[in-house]
Amino acid sequence: MSGESAKLRAVGLNAWYGRRQALYDVSLDIPTGQVTAIVGPSGCGKSTFLRCLNRLHEEVPRARTSGQILLDGEDLMRQDPVTVRFRVGMVFQKPSPFPHTSIYDNVAAGLRLMGVRRRDELDQGVVRALMLAGLWEEVEDKIDAPGEGLSGGQQQRLCIARALAVEPEVLLMDEPCSALDPIATHRIETLIQSLKGRFTVVVVTHNLFQARRVSESTAFFYLGKLVEFGPTATIFESPREKLTENYVTGRFG
Amino acid sequence: MRSTSVRAGRWTLLRWLGRTFLGLAVVATIAFVALVAGLAYLLAHASWQSIRTFGFGFLTGTTWDPIHNIYGAAPAIAGTLITSGLALLFAVPISLGVAIFLAEIAPRWVRRPLAYAVDLSAAIPSVVYGFWAYIVLVPLMRTTVEPALARWSGGRFPFSSTPIGYDLLTATLVLTIMILPTISALSREALLAVPRIHRESALSLGATRWEATRIGVLKSARGGITAGVVLGLGRALGETIAVTMVIGNIFILPNSLFSEGATLASWIVDTFPDATPGIDRSAVLELALILLIITFAINGVARWLLRRGRNPDDDGAPPHRSWWDRLRARRTRAPSLPTAELDPLGPEPWRARAAERAASRRRRRRAVQAAVVGLTAFCLLLALAPFASVIATAVERGGSLVIQPSFYTSLPPIGCNPHPGVTCQVGGIGPEIQGTLIMLGLGALVAMPGGLLIGICLAEYGRGRLARVVSLLADVMTGVPTIILGVFVFTFFLYADHDATLSALSGGVGLGVLMLPITARATEEALGTVPAAVRESALALGFPRHRVTLRVALKSSRAVLVTGLLLAASRAAGDTAVLLLTAGGSSFYFHSLDTETAAITPFIFDNFGSNYQNLQAAAWGAALVLLIIMLVIGLSARLAVAARADAAEATG
Repeated sequence: MSGESAKLRAVGLNAWYGRRQALYDVSLDIPTGQVTAIVGPSGCGKSTFLRCLNRLHEEVPRARTSGQILLDGEDLMRQDPVTVRFRVGMVFQKPSPFPHTSIYDNVAAGLRLMGVRRRDELDQGVVRALMLAGLWEEVEDKIDAPGEGLSGGQQQRLCIARALAVEPEVLLMDEPCSALDPIATHRIETLIQSLKGRFTVVVVTHNLFQARRVSESTAFFYLGKLVEFGPTATIFESPREKLTENYVTGRFG
Repeated sequence: MRSTSVRAGRWTLLRWLGRTFLGLAVVATIAFVALVAGLAYLLAHASWQSIRTFGFGFLTGTTWDPIHNIYGAAPAIAGTLITSGLALLFAVPISLGVAIFLAEIAPRWVRRPLAYAVDLSAAIPSVVYGFWAYIVLVPLMRTTVEPALARWSGGRFPFSSTPIGYDLLTATLVLTIMILPTISALSREALLAVPRIHRESALSLGATRWEATRIGVLKSARGGITAGVVLGLGRALGETIAVTMVIGNIFILPNSLFSEGATLASWIVDTFPDATPGIDRSAVLELALILLIITFAINGVARWLLRRGRNPDDDGAPPHRSWWDRLRARRTRAPSLPTAELDPLGPEPWRARAAERAASRRRRRRAVQAAVVGLTAFCLLLALAPFASVIATAVERGGSLVIQPSFYTSLPPIGCNPHPGVTCQVGGIGPEIQGTLIMLGLGALVAMPGGLLIGICLAEYGRGRLARVVSLLADVMTGVPTIILGVFVFTFFLYADHDATLSALSGGVGLGVLMLPITARATEEALGTVPAAVRESALALGFPRHRVTLRVALKSSRAVLVTGLLLAASRAAGDTAVLLLTAGGSSFYFHSLDTETAAITPFIFDNFGSNYQNLQAAAWGAALVLLIIMLVIGLSARLAVAARADAAEATG
């Protein structure tokens, strides 16, 4: 995992909510074009870490960070958050299509922010994103229906399509399947696999099997610290740390 | 053995008491519904003579002639619609700016104090706003604003006729100022109620803060904002005292915004006290009936919208599609998909073009963001400026009086202007304070227990359709113009053949009717803040239902409840219209329950335009006293609720 192939590098990252520290000195290289999983018990700071990567953490009242996050070698803490978030998209735990907004307008929202106005261009971007998210066939004939009318799994894929429409370089996913049933989960996992190579994906998950199925690398967080990071196979089969081994074998967490 | 039977006996007694208590609550609620029905019936009955005589012609007639007994309401209806409509037009955009600034844009640490300031400006009594407008706004309009408008428009409609200051435009501005806090507060709450995830979803697409508000938040908040706007309209339509003080109150069809006029409410205040029994009074009562119907309908819509919006939107609920959504979907007809010439998987040259333009576009988006920040901050400034000016004016003109202890005990002064060699009495408002307290106490005697019982009944049986309707009714009643309550109580005493239509008793009943729905709703809300888990665990422990309500629920919501009751009392203390029509007036200390009695707000209303400097100064002193009481109660109420919410958040 050499530095050159790292899309995102966290260097000595600390994060706080008010006086409570949530992340301690995390340094981590996220490889380009791969799926990286972040696992750990609840409250270990994995979501906080994810939210630092597109500077959403600072939207929480009294939240702050120190340290560096390099996106393609440049510190994103020194950049305009709007530009950063345009390059680093995010999908949340709960499916959250914009309310009272059609499927089409949901996906088109990001494109419109980019300044795409022409109908044919918007159409192309929307259809392509929906295809990427594997949702196109299911919504083709009800593209003007509100997004909230879809099933939970479809809504989540709609949110992925919405994030992909602006072609971000990185896609962050915060427990994208925790609100879904097994079949919808399977579809999302297949989708994540298909995004590999084209996007750099970071998935926070509670589900160890999921991490194992979808990711190339896995990071294990515990109590706000990065315990171990490496190829997924290594983490699950021959971890260096005792703590990691206990966690991945289900002895706690 | 013996002890268990004693305990069983005690339990039986307790259960019996509890049942009686809940029975009493149901009775109180039924009485409340009867009261509202009685109000509508009495107004309809008392205006029947006028309805029968004039028919629909009453709505279109333009004369009000008590000599020849010809009555028509058109000028008042026109005045009401014009002032309220324009006020809404001015207030809505400003309120939205205020709400967006306070909920989305302002730095976090200033949000709460500024929001409190906006909320508190809603607590300023109508008569104080009117007094301020009379002293500050009217001269400003007459000498500066209106001449400028006349010059700019070349004297054309709607800025024709000579600017005098007492006119529809000034009344409109006063209404705007008064409904701004209502609409702002409800819109702000609606924005804050939108789940954070929508905001964050938009931000994650690379939206600026304003863009996130626009695409992620505003649409969800639409229902609440609409409700706030409608509620503001209801308030404007029924606003009485402040408008009466600046609109000129002349019964003509206005031909310009600089024309004097009247509204339904202002004309009722002006004519009702002197109306002669018979067709004259019946005609005024018909005005009140019209106003009641309009405000009842408007408030009903607003409250219904608010309640619908408050339902938990979550999980599994079918998506709500309003007619507006459907219309929009039809208008933005589906994309021409998939296009023959445009392969969705083909190259995307437009992406590169968009990327090229990104830098200049980013500059523009930043400029828009900055403009929104500036504009919304300016809206807040506009909303707070009158508030600051009211307080400054009151302190300047009444400040030296309220620091003298004798001001609270002396009789009002005899009117006098300073001359060389003449010193004027300062006087005080002792009788007014005493009268207000007595009538407030009388009202509270009925309204507090009554409201508590009704609130308990609604909270306990609030699941049923019937209870929901009653709760909505109570809500709507809190928005009915108080002038109508005054007219109602006066007429009630008249029908009851009581010879003390203007008396402390009548005033007390008036304030009681005013406070009843407010305390009922406050109680219901306070009990509603008890977490279901607390309630259910108490039930699971085997507590009987009434004990859960009385001991567990009332105890855990005590602070919120006291706050609500205090706010109800402060609203009653600040109300003018009811007392004006029921308490009459007096310059002396309380005499008996069935004689006319002095009170603070009618005193201000009677003396705001006084030619005697010392009387006007005493009125300012009274206004400042009211302001201080309102602001202290309002602020401590908010702090108490906020402290509770913070505590809940910390533990939750």
